[in-house]
Amino acid sequence: MSDAAHAHGHHDEHSHGHPTGIMRWLTTTNHKDIGSLYLWFALIMLFAAGSMALLIRAELFQPGLQLTNPDFFNQLTTMHGLIMIFGVIMPAFSGFANWQVPLMLGAPDMAFPRMNNWAFWILPVAGLLLMTSFFLPGGAVAGGWTMYPPLFIQGGISYDLTILAVHIMGLSSIMGSINIITTILNMRAPGLTLMKMPLFVWTWLITAYLLIATMPVLAGAVTMLLTDRNFGTHFFNAAGGGDPVMFQHIFWFFAHPEVYILILPAFGIVSQVIPTFARKPLFGYASMVYATASIAILSFIVWAHHMFTVGMPVAAQLFFMFSTMLIAVPTGVKVFNWVATMWRGSMTFETPMLFAIAFVCLFTIGGFSGLVLAIAPVDIQLHDTYYVVAHFHYVLVSGALFAIFSGIYYWLPKWTGHMYDETLGKWHFWLSVIGMNIVFFPMHFLGLAGMPRRIPDYALQFTEFNQIATVGAFLFGFSQLIFLAVVLKAIKGGAKATDQVWEGAEGLEWTVPSPAPYHTFETAPVVK
Amino acid sequence: MVDKRNNKYRTAILLALFALGLFLFTLYNGLQ
Repeated sequence: MSDAAHAHGHHDEHSHGHPTGIMRWLTTTNHKDIGSLYLWFALIMLFAAGSMALLIRAELFQPGLQLTNPDFFNQLTTMHGLIMIFGVIMPAFSGFANWQVPLMLGAPDMAFPRMNNWAFWILPVAGLLLMTSFFLPGGAVAGGWTMYPPLFIQGGISYDLTILAVHIMGLSSIMGSINIITTILNMRAPGLTLMKMPLFVWTWLITAYLLIATMPVLAGAVTMLLTDRNFGTHFFNAAGGGDPVMFQHIFWFFAHPEVYILILPAFGIVSQVIPTFARKPLFGYASMVYATASIAILSFIVWAHHMFTVGMPVAAQLFFMFSTMLIAVPTGVKVFNWVATMWRGSMTFETPMLFAIAFVCLFTIGGFSGLVLAIAPVDIQLHDTYYVVAHFHYVLVSGALFAIFSGIYYWLPKWTGHMYDETLGKWHFWLSVIGMNIVFFPMHFLGLAGMPRRIPDYALQFTEFNQIATVGAFLFGFSQLIFLAVVLKAIKGGAKATDQVWEGAEGLEWTVPSPAPYHTFETAPVVK
Repeated sequence: MVDKRNNKYRTAILLALFALGLFLFTLYNGLQ
């Protein structure tokens, strides 16, 4: 997206003697270029994994098997989950971090630009490994994104490719996180103390620590899967004295903090957008920082709430139940602060603000259904039903994805130098918010009625809600083409964006021209 | 600020060592 920056002739010193065309993108060490690459990668993957979701919903439009067989259906659900998490949400937030963290800190670039290039470019390799596994003998992985043994030990070659892809994506995340933490701790402009940093930077600092503390655990877990599959070990093989439940413990020790890795940067984006369009400073800045840190710390002691049905002692169930409920406290602080920021503000409702408000309302629904699932006896009833599917899609679609949309609309004028088409943006918002609720709200009822997840066929009584969900899915899915059109249109042209772009916007990134020049803050600004 | 920027290698190495240690610790725990 920084192409537009060059077209407008701002600081084009990068072009002297530097590669052009594809080599420019392959060899770039510029944080804005790499940010754009992450965002484009995420968008392409969004359409790939979104197409899988539409195929899943098309199959579920009526009972019986129409378009897929059970194995291919399981491949679709597995790959949809893996790609949406590792290929869409995480890279999109890395894109935001690359673009915004140096701009918000008054730093000229990330701390390690070459490592930044590597962290991005190994990611498409992992994406390719995942996608091509569909065409291998036996098809793609079908054991669920959670990769549980024994299924994951028994599958074909694509399972090894997926393990390799997860290793690569983990390495990319660790390199990216080291870069982000080092940039934030060492590259801030003079006077910009930690407690003066924009909240987006704070949330990414905490997210990066979470990544470094969990990705190696995932790498360890999948390494053990790999050796179980290929080198005769029995870490998770009960027949050889191993323990398949141990994998679940290790996996969820990674994967619950991962949930917060997927949502904390979203909190950060929303915390930037709401004050801008409410034209008020963020209510309770310090409490937001402490709440984010509290959520991150608590995320390490709740993992077994994903495993209530494996048969753990009641004392353990109680511990994980209550510790999970405790997370509602700092999360509640955040929701309260966003609402308090809007209270009596001079609000306007441009597309970024609409997505941010939808985030606050709908993410809270996902949070509440999470509290329902935290209750061990309830979870034992609802485990592996569509209630869980409804819950995490409210968190990840109307939560993480809507925050990503909000952030893109918010910073697109700064990145491209052009205002986006507000009318199309509003169409995108309303169709998305309506479509999203039509897909996922009925899934609560399906889950409560007992419909299990990850099945291509279902009992007749679930038909109506499934049909409604499928109609909503196609509405939501095709609305994303409007988003693509908005982005392309803004890159191509449009009304010239001012430096500040939004009347209520504050922070260092709004002091540089729009589009942001290729090199910014070569002389560090002084923050008072 | 110049001093801080010179510290970036120390920060990065510490973080990388932590990540590597955690990976090995996970494997070690699997062997128990």
